[in-house]
Amino acid sequence: MARYAMVMDTRRCIGCQSCTVACKINNELPLDIIYNPVFTDGPKGSFPHVQRTDIPMMCMHCEDPPCVHACPTGASIQREDGIVWVDDSKCVGCKACVMACPYGARHPNEVTGTVMKCDFCKDRVAEGERPWCVKTCHQGARIFGDLDDVNSEVFKLVNGERTVRLLDELGTGPCVYYIMD
Amino acid sequence: MGEGSKVSLLEGAEIKKSACYFCHNNCGLNAYVKNGKVVKVEGDDNYPINNGGLCSRGNMNFKFHDHPDRINYPLKRVGKRGDGNYERITWDQALDEIAGKLTRIKSEFGAEALATAGGTLRTDDWARRRFMNLYGSPNGFHNAHLCWIPTFMIETAIYGWCPFEPDLANSRCAVMWGHNPGASAMPEMRHFSDFQKKGMKLIVVDPRYTETASKADIWLPLRPGSDIALALAWLNVIIWEGLYNQEFLDNCCTGFDELAQHVAEYTPEWAASKTWLDPEQIRESARMYATNTPGNIVWGVALDQSGKSGGVATHARALLRAVTGNIDAPGSDLMGGPAQDFITDEEMEANDLLPEEQKLKQLGADKFPLLTWPGYGKIAAITKQVWGKAPTAEWMCEAHPPTVWEAITTGKPYPVKGLISLATNPLNSYGDSKKVLAALRAVDFHVSVEYWMTPSAGLADYILPAASALERPIITSTYGCADFLLASQRAVQPMYERHDDFTFWRELSLRMGHGKENWPWKNLEEANFYRIQSLGYEVNSYDEFVEKQRFHFPEREYYKYGSVGFATPSGKIELASSTLADLGFSAMPTYQTPVENEDDDPELAKEFPLVLTTGGGVMPFHHSEFFNIKELRFLRPEPHMLINNETAAELGIEKEDWVWIETKRGRIKQKADVSPAIHPRVIFTERGWWYPERGAKDPDLGGVLESNCNVLTSTEDKDCDQYGGSWANRGLLCKVYKVTEANTKGGL
Repeated sequence: MARYAMVMDTRRCIGCQSCTVACKINNELPLDIIYNPVFTDGPKGSFPHVQRTDIPMMCMHCEDPPCVHACPTGASIQREDGIVWVDDSKCVGCKACVMACPYGARHPNEVTGTVMKCDFCKDRVAEGERPWCVKTCHQGARIFGDLDDVNSEVFKLVNGERTVRLLDELGTGPCVYYIMD
Repeated sequence: MGEGSKVSLLEGAEIKKSACYFCHNNCGLNAYVKNGKVVKVEGDDNYPINNGGLCSRGNMNFKFHDHPDRINYPLKRVGKRGDGNYERITWDQALDEIAGKLTRIKSEFGAEALATAGGTLRTDDWARRRFMNLYGSPNGFHNAHLCWIPTFMIETAIYGWCPFEPDLANSRCAVMWGHNPGASAMPEMRHFSDFQKKGMKLIVVDPRYTETASKADIWLPLRPGSDIALALAWLNVIIWEGLYNQEFLDNCCTGFDELAQHVAEYTPEWAASKTWLDPEQIRESARMYATNTPGNIVWGVALDQSGKSGGVATHARALLRAVTGNIDAPGSDLMGGPAQDFITDEEMEANDLLPEEQKLKQLGADKFPLLTWPGYGKIAAITKQVWGKAPTAEWMCEAHPPTVWEAITTGKPYPVKGLISLATNPLNSYGDSKKVLAALRAVDFHVSVEYWMTPSAGLADYILPAASALERPIITSTYGCADFLLASQRAVQPMYERHDDFTFWRELSLRMGHGKENWPWKNLEEANFYRIQSLGYEVNSYDEFVEKQRFHFPEREYYKYGSVGFATPSGKIELASSTLADLGFSAMPTYQTPVENEDDDPELAKEFPLVLTTGGGVMPFHHSEFFNIKELRFLRPEPHMLINNETAAELGIEKEDWVWIETKRGRIKQKADVSPAIHPRVIFTERGWWYPERGAKDPDLGGVLESNCNVLTSTEDKDCDQYGGSWANRGLLCKVYKVTEANTKGGL
């Protein structure tokens, strides 16, 4: 069985937000819903000694996802391959998952009354394609793949580079890894 | 949405090999077409430029294709100009009436009374030039003066062709001189990041700590417009520290001793006060470039936009490649020359049809010879002898736009009565917007071929619908000056009543009686096939070429000059350029102060103490486009200027405050981005801004003067680059103050 994960190479990210837009356009998200914001830390320091780091965000597809635990209807589902997604037909829009997610990765859709989130473009992945945010990234700053596959790039990066996970201390087991400078 | 949905949409769809044209990279697209309609667009994984990637704009191709704001039918103005009232007419009516008007203009005022303006690679340029040559007017133009063209022509004068293709895979050091691919050319940026990982050094020369600067080994935040001082000091260090390439100089160059003497006085200490850099920084960076060979100086727009000090800086920068031997060697800047095995843009332009006496009338030729017929003619004659081909005349040989606006408004040196603009919004994209506005109000007859109702189109008499990327076959060949080409096809025929502008020019030309023999190709595919037939691929149509080949790269030949020679009068790289000297310039680059500065005009500097740089691009916009596309605008809903945090504190300006930025030509407002990413004395403003949501009608015209950086820029002859006439976006003096109710009352 696969275990899908993403590695963000912040050494390569330039904060262009192509991923933000590619996700929104191709997944036909409402204008106010963003699955993939990019936060720019900086520029900080004092001219001319400045630094900036661009940090792409998204659903962390946690190993132990609090959003799924919080869901009272079973609409929030974690697949065996790790992908966390929402079955619209079961979602009643109670927003318990929105409260539970420490990453702000769940988005109420006021029109449909359901909650939306990144599903790692599972339909594309099923076809052997990469998620939109990964395909669109000119910089190759987003690397997607199977952590259970020792030959995959994500496996090599997670095991070969120094990576960090955001809010790791909460113990949700985020499956998005960041390579920092 | 359940599992596995969305897949059926594409069943039975045909994949067309198209290209994005929202910037010059022309990333490859796969367009999925079903029942004659585009149903999906994505990056082409097999296209060598982008490998499937797309920037935020590129992702907008599908939306752009059938966006509700697009102009889809020919429109004719009814009522007063600027009121926004248009009626739909047929193409036949539009073309008949335009042809009639152009015939009258020519008979009454001469062919030179028609000017045409083109946009950024959204236009079929050789077709426009062909029309203009048949009509007899030398007065076509683009924003060419601000974008690569001066660089191309100065370098061609010195080396015999512009070495614009960096061989990065073998490079050890890349210099980004006023270039920020991190916000303007994503596919390029990827290469820099890849090769940096392999050990390539990256030097970024930029007043701003840009996306690209943030990845640099050395960042040189110089004073805007002082690039000439830095380039001269680099030459000084490289020559006087003995870091030059003796063998290359001996074999390929003339004038080294003269140059060594010429730059002896330009020490890093001399340059420090002019550039605001530290002498040691200048030394260290010069050494990094000179000792990490092979290396590249990658083109960026900054010098082309620096006005008076821009041409000389380009000239000096070009000599850096020569003294280090970074030309046409593996890993250096490659000089492939013009295409030898297919028909170039220039060969499609029919420049021989323009009478000599009309060439002499080209507006600006008397003042700025390099990018007009006097300079172009001289340089093209030599390249034809050596390479057998000439640079594209469209772009490289154009009327001087500020002089055209002036001629429209004043009738001097002669009247310009007609203007046809295509995919360009001059009010936002040309210098000194108030002067452009006066011209667009004054011009007798204005046709705009457009995608959107822009502020400039809002003043046109006719607005004609332009076909977009997915509706055009596009050949990409670096403005017709590369020895390679990439080809893309129409995904679908133009929707509604849109046309590519080849069709527009051909139809108009035939109506003007120019004769079918001048337009033997019925459509662009036929013309494109004619151009590539000689490549010898086994294909029977242009579309088949796209589907089977997609691109043509001749076998890479390093040191081509060994067999071809250098296309200069001496047959060598001329460190003291005889071509430039013949055109009336110094053979070697001399120091010029930035356009406006405290030494030349202390009074001005008292009132305007800060230094302005503008014209640089920010994602997700391109030039003055995309402000109306909400799926992009949400990323940057309002215009922002960049101000240093210490300066902002002194001026009582806080993050997100609206501020006025004022030069002696006028003022605009943008919001403050307060940051250490810029020198305390430098201000950066975003370009292109207007507000489509307000409507492109008088009196506001979409707020065209409100946040538009070109209200601040200067096009006065004395501020323009002496070689080619590029006007000044950078190195101007300005002041900044908070917007208050009291200081807003007077309006803009």
